[in-house]
Amino acid sequence: MMRLQDILSPFYVWKRAFEKPFSIAVLSAPRPGSPTYRGFHQNDIDKCIGCGTCAEICQNVSIDMVPVKEAQDGDSGLRPRIDYGRCCWCALCVDICPTGSLTMSNAYTWVEEGLDRDVRETYCYTPGADPQPWDDEALGYRKPEGYELLHLERVPMPHLAPGERLNSFVEMVKGYSHELAVQEADRCIQCGICTATCPAHMNIPAYIKAIREDKIAEGLKILYETNPLPGVCGRICTRRCEDVCALSHRGEAISIRWLKRYLTDCASAEDYKALLESEIKPLDRKIAIIGAGPGGLSAAYYLAGMGYAVEIFEQNAAAGGMLRYGIPEYRLPYTKLDQDVAQIAALGVKFNYNACIGRDLSFDDLYNRFDAVFVSVGMFEPYRIGIPGDDNAKVISGLQLLSDVTNGVPVDLGRRVVVVGGGNVAMDAARTAKRLGCEVTVLYRRREVDMPADVEEIEEAREESVNFIFQAIPLEIKTADDGSLSFDWGKAEMVQQKPGERPQPILIEGSRENIAADTIIAAIGQGVNYLWMDGEASAKIELKKFRVQADRWGRTADTKIFIGGDMFNPTADAITAIADGHRSARAIDKMLNPPREN
Amino acid sequence: MQELLDNLKELYALNGITLRNPSLAWAEVTPERLVGLLTQLRDAHGFTHLVLMTCVDWLEDGRFQVTYLLHNYTTRQDLGLHVYVGRTASELPSIHTLWEQGRVYQQELHEMFGIYFPGSPGLGEPMILESWDGPPPMRRDFDTRVYSEETYSHRQRTHHEPEQHMKDRLYPED
Repeated sequence: MMRLQDILSPFYVWKRAFEKPFSIAVLSAPRPGSPTYRGFHQNDIDKCIGCGTCAEICQNVSIDMVPVKEAQDGDSGLRPRIDYGRCCWCALCVDICPTGSLTMSNAYTWVEEGLDRDVRETYCYTPGADPQPWDDEALGYRKPEGYELLHLERVPMPHLAPGERLNSFVEMVKGYSHELAVQEADRCIQCGICTATCPAHMNIPAYIKAIREDKIAEGLKILYETNPLPGVCGRICTRRCEDVCALSHRGEAISIRWLKRYLTDCASAEDYKALLESEIKPLDRKIAIIGAGPGGLSAAYYLAGMGYAVEIFEQNAAAGGMLRYGIPEYRLPYTKLDQDVAQIAALGVKFNYNACIGRDLSFDDLYNRFDAVFVSVGMFEPYRIGIPGDDNAKVISGLQLLSDVTNGVPVDLGRRVVVVGGGNVAMDAARTAKRLGCEVTVLYRRREVDMPADVEEIEEAREESVNFIFQAIPLEIKTADDGSLSFDWGKAEMVQQKPGERPQPILIEGSRENIAADTIIAAIGQGVNYLWMDGEASAKIELKKFRVQADRWGRTADTKIFIGGDMFNPTADAITAIADGHRSARAIDKMLNPPREN
Repeated sequence: MQELLDNLKELYALNGITLRNPSLAWAEVTPERLVGLLTQLRDAHGFTHLVLMTCVDWLEDGRFQVTYLLHNYTTRQDLGLHVYVGRTASELPSIHTLWEQGRVYQQELHEMFGIYFPGSPGLGEPMILESWDGPPPMRRDFDTRVYSEETYSHRQRTHHEPEQHMKDRLYPED
């Protein structure tokens, strides 16, 4: 028999329908996460440089770097894609992000419509590139202030004090000790963004790792794979790698150049010798190289390593080109350059000094005797100031002064020296004159910010009490009654002539100032000397706007002639010349020694 | 507590008696004497509550340390007993006859460490590891990563290393 309770009991449940439910409406009325909740990621993809440090630190392998933008200097174009099936929301990726672009919103709900996709393809997105509802959410987790996983500050490099430097040409940068170098190397996050920017594409993360692990011989080997002048570059490289260093976004770039210097300074003679031990199979081919600057030395090293018989023809009495005759000893000691050159000579490269092509030897002779010719003569023809009186014997070029000092030729500059120009040659000439005991004033056409010289060089010149006059246009050089020089110049104003272009200095009408000098040094740039282009062999080479035309491998219109270095590339620095030499060496090898079928 | 343990020491061959504080003590006992000791503690000395059973894998020593934690509600004292057993073919007497809930702890220790408790009801049934075919996962020689890579299918990674990617895009020929 059915009891009354059995009939009524369903209605007891129904009465609950009118009470406040105990459950929470998560989807229809979501509760916001707390203000610093670690929810779904946000990434400012214009700030992000795709260094992959987030993917590297992720303990759950939940971050993949995927292509989102075009790769360019300082930006791999990759962006982090996060798999929330793996992410444990620890936020280490946010804490270590070198640019600070990666953050977390406080959003924590994800609704996936439909189940027609493989579950492994959902719950995964690229923040900043795949739109999400929380992209503009202001709340969420940010890296807390005062807490830093990266070492943002550079280990300072010991320098000679300005007072100590002025009396001598002793190298002013002292170099890292083992302890300091390891400390600096330890800051590197090994992202490799710098490798693409280095003209020679040196394997920077690999040699920094070698320093950290104190594997000096191995590090030296890595350097020589892409750069046969590491001792030189460790001192004077323009180090564009440091400009794009991931750490430079929120802190100071790794001292890549000084770390390279450390490697070459503490490598032993045995370490250098060990590099020569691999056996070279000689090829029956001869290559001539004109110019023993960084481009020619680099090509010689790699060609000799491949087995070619290499001969270098150099107009000066020693190798190095601009490295020896254009850079003062306090920045690059000759012993260091000699060591790098000796290493190249040890591969069997033959050096012919005091051999100027077009004067002592003819280009045709070289062209006929050798299987290929690599030309890297540099830019050694100083431009003249181009004002009345600049032909005075007391007006010399910066390069003249620097090479005279290198050659040990006695120079007498008098007491007062005026340097015209704002590049590195101008700074080197000014600081060299300062070391010879002169009072030095630098005259530059534009503002200080426009100076093409290294910021460090300008700062150091100031420390050494070099005077600067900016926006000064040279007008005329006259000889005063006492035999000294009277230099007229006028004040310029900076005028923006075309939008987007850099402002031009224009002489202020009627402005005329005067400065007395015993010597005036012109350092306003150099051009290429085409003395080598004599005879018939070079006739096929194309010239456009006074420059030899060639493709990126340095191949000219004549298949046997290759060019590189300052006369070819627009940056005109040592590392680009080294890269040119290496590239042309490979192109020459490809031409003379094509890979055999099978 | 000291007195109690001193009295029991000889009878049950207790070792390593440590009095952490007046209400907490530890001691070691052999598997053979375990059930007798627990029965006496429960029935004669007021340790009526089995707080927990747990295990530590001393991989380097080749043995498991199984711990039984008891509580006396009258004196508010805790007593922990350690039993050591070899890591291979590990077997301990079941205590489900003393405390019924011991069955659950034993099921868990069997599943996670592979310790066998003869007679314990439902010992072989999975507690959380349904259709598990690997070794007991809490043993320290169990490699979680290797097991998961062999057992489960993974989302294919699409990761690019920045340095190599930039070379491929910007200077592939160099």
